[in-house]
Amino acid sequence: MSASTCFHCGEANPRANPILATVQGREEGVCCPGCKAAAEWIEHLGLGDYYRLRSEPALRIADREDYSAWDRPALRRLHVRTLAVDRAEVVVLVDGLRCSACAWLIERALRGIPGIHDIGVNALARRVVIDFDPGRLSLSTALSALAQLGYRPHPLTADMLDSQRQRESRAALKRLVVAGLGTMQAMMMAVALYAGVFDSIDPSVREFFRWLGFLVATPVVLYSAQPFFRGAWREWRTRHLSMDTPVALAIALIYLASLIGVFVGGHEIYFDSVCMFVLFLLVGRHLALRARHRASDVVDALARLQPVLADRREGDAFVRVAVHELEAGDIVRVANGAAVPADGELIGPRCRIDESLLSGESRALPREPGQALIAGSLVVDGPIELRVQRIGADTVLAGIVRMVTRAASERPQIARIADARAANFVVRVLCVTVITALAWSWFDPSRALPAALSVLVVSCPCAFALAVPAALTRAVAVLAQRGVLVVDADALETLAKVDRFAFDKTGTLSEPGFDVADIKVRRGTLDQTLGIVAALEHGNTHPLALALRRLAVDAPPMTAHALRQIEGAGVEGEVEGIRYRLGRRDFFLLHTGEGKDDDALVLADDLGEIARFNVSEQPRPGVIALIRSLQADGIECEILSGDCPARVNLMAARLGITQHLAAARPGDKLARLDTLRKQGHVVAMIGDGINDAPVLGGADVAIAIGDGSAMAHAVSGILLSSARLDRLIEARAVAREMVVRLKQNFNWALAYNLAVVPVAAFGFVPPWLAAIGMSASSILVILNSLRIGRRATAHDETATATRPASEATA
Amino acid sequence: MNIILLLIPISLALLGVGVWAFFWAVNHSQFDDLDTPALTPLSEDSPVESESIRK
Repeated sequence: MSASTCFHCGEANPRANPILATVQGREEGVCCPGCKAAAEWIEHLGLGDYYRLRSEPALRIADREDYSAWDRPALRRLHVRTLAVDRAEVVVLVDGLRCSACAWLIERALRGIPGIHDIGVNALARRVVIDFDPGRLSLSTALSALAQLGYRPHPLTADMLDSQRQRESRAALKRLVVAGLGTMQAMMMAVALYAGVFDSIDPSVREFFRWLGFLVATPVVLYSAQPFFRGAWREWRTRHLSMDTPVALAIALIYLASLIGVFVGGHEIYFDSVCMFVLFLLVGRHLALRARHRASDVVDALARLQPVLADRREGDAFVRVAVHELEAGDIVRVANGAAVPADGELIGPRCRIDESLLSGESRALPREPGQALIAGSLVVDGPIELRVQRIGADTVLAGIVRMVTRAASERPQIARIADARAANFVVRVLCVTVITALAWSWFDPSRALPAALSVLVVSCPCAFALAVPAALTRAVAVLAQRGVLVVDADALETLAKVDRFAFDKTGTLSEPGFDVADIKVRRGTLDQTLGIVAALEHGNTHPLALALRRLAVDAPPMTAHALRQIEGAGVEGEVEGIRYRLGRRDFFLLHTGEGKDDDALVLADDLGEIARFNVSEQPRPGVIALIRSLQADGIECEILSGDCPARVNLMAARLGITQHLAAARPGDKLARLDTLRKQGHVVAMIGDGINDAPVLGGADVAIAIGDGSAMAHAVSGILLSSARLDRLIEARAVAREMVVRLKQNFNWALAYNLAVVPVAAFGFVPPWLAAIGMSASSILVILNSLRIGRRATAHDETATATRPASEATA
Repeated sequence: MNIILLLIPISLALLGVGVWAFFWAVNHSQFDDLDTPALTPLSEDSPVESESIRK
């Protein structure tokens, strides 16, 4: 690790390196005292190996929190599951648990604490299960130990222990493996039978192999394929035919036909085909499932957004209680920089509230006593007191969560060509089969069954049914390698059709930054000022602080002492003996100058203002490339933002976007998306943040950015795991290529079937040849699908060539 | 040729055992986390003193 970044958390270190931590006998530079403490404590525990094993830097150490309130009985009842007198279990969602090395570190460090029986760490789900003795160890001790390591623990409620998620993924894995093993066996039996056709197999041996095929295929059909049958049953009950119906029908028919073959004899069996079919479908589903689980669920987001503890006034003192113990009318104190625990009315004093997570408004808004505060918003200059009005499920935040759930469930399912065609096809094949059987039983009853089955098999909807999952699976895998996670497979298909992109602004298109030209220095030189600022912001990970440090790269290095963070307001410290403060203007209570840009940062000493840094918004990396590429394809972009019109106009002009909507609440954004959709546009919405979540749910394609909040991920169909928006260009190219391949697959399947079914219906195709034809057809479909993503990026020629959607086939 | 009448049932029985073992492993959370356990053997077993947790 280079000396310019913190040894523990990877944040930038200052040029002059004032803080050194001793780890494994070497002096390593760290960015802040918290990181120093964490690194040295880890070393002290003999766990210095962590730094060799980890694959991602740790979280920056925040101020130490007080966890003692977790020992309150009311909270304990909710979160701790008692297993025996001396055993209790708690599940903790751990913020900052990023890689396997973290899991290792936590496990090793906590195992040493007396009173802990066992520790289970799951890096994937970011959960730690602590099995402890409540008599010897308090929950708060365990939590503070986690916090001391540099992680932020959020205990989850006890009923999440056996999560739905775990059961779902376990069942999927079992089904997949059974299908895989079954397919291999069935193939083996089938090869023997195929070989027997040419080598004149002994009839008794043939019977034997048929029974074996039946034996291995039965678990695959009855166990592994269950989700398809269930899905088909659900579709049938809701009278909404979709992909599961033809799939289930095909599986059932092929299986039943083969079953007749085994019990009645006389024609070929297709157990290998049905197994392979099920296996391919399950692989596709499994990949989608994993991607969905990786994108964190709503619970995670809520756990972090809503504080679990609150300071309630009881008599003259404030007592820390759990949020769900609050009742309407209670008076609660909220510290500076903390989140508001419940909806309520501000009693005093006057303060500013950061609602950016909820409304997208990037500035902190002033609130007068008597005005309403929303749970989950941050108090910028506190402490304040508020009277609780609504808690838990009645809060605005909970309402937003409900909106998310509803919007997600109401997401329009664009009628999928694939589904419709496959369903149609299955119906037609069934008709042709029945007609063939009837016709032959009229002329020659002994040939009726083989001919009918030939039709069924030669026309096997495999090629049709595989056309979608094969192409989808490949596209999803290709995109995952490039940092685009497809959570909802439907989203890809829709992405190819999108003709309107809507962007959220704050945190999506733009990030806060500074322009050197926009710094007003009143005293001293620019370089010196930047040096002081860099020293003061040293170790701070706030985006603004990072932007300031980037500016100050060439400034003379200085060291700040007695640094004090004032959450939400600024920082205070001594540089070369002089006391400086840096922060929002009203941090100093200076009411001078123009009142408009009150979110500018000001550097001041005891004599007054030294310099003013106007915050401006800088486009994120890749944004301009993305917008240009979309506009070159004739796709209109627009901005839907909760921010004030002036900023939105500025950013829109900078990016060359003409359509924009400012000061929009989530409801307005949803309405705008609705209008667009009613006009016949297919809309993609790209955003992050809690406030975007309902809006994302209402778009045709929802795309969330990886470093946005977890809630947005939960409703998004596509997730950009890196912050680079230009990955979307590639994602779009791959999605379109996938649609092209899909169409090719379909056309091939159709052409093949049109050519072969009549021949089979007239009885010219023996079933074994039908099976080979069908397999070859399926393989062709798969090979074609594997071509997706071969070219590094799809070229514009192909993109434009495929735009007119060819409605060639029905 | 008759040997296959013996060998195939044996192979199927072994397959059954394999599937059973796999189900057992899945049900005992052997597949819930595929990343973390891989690192465990890489570390040296230095004893962790329990007194070292500062309160």
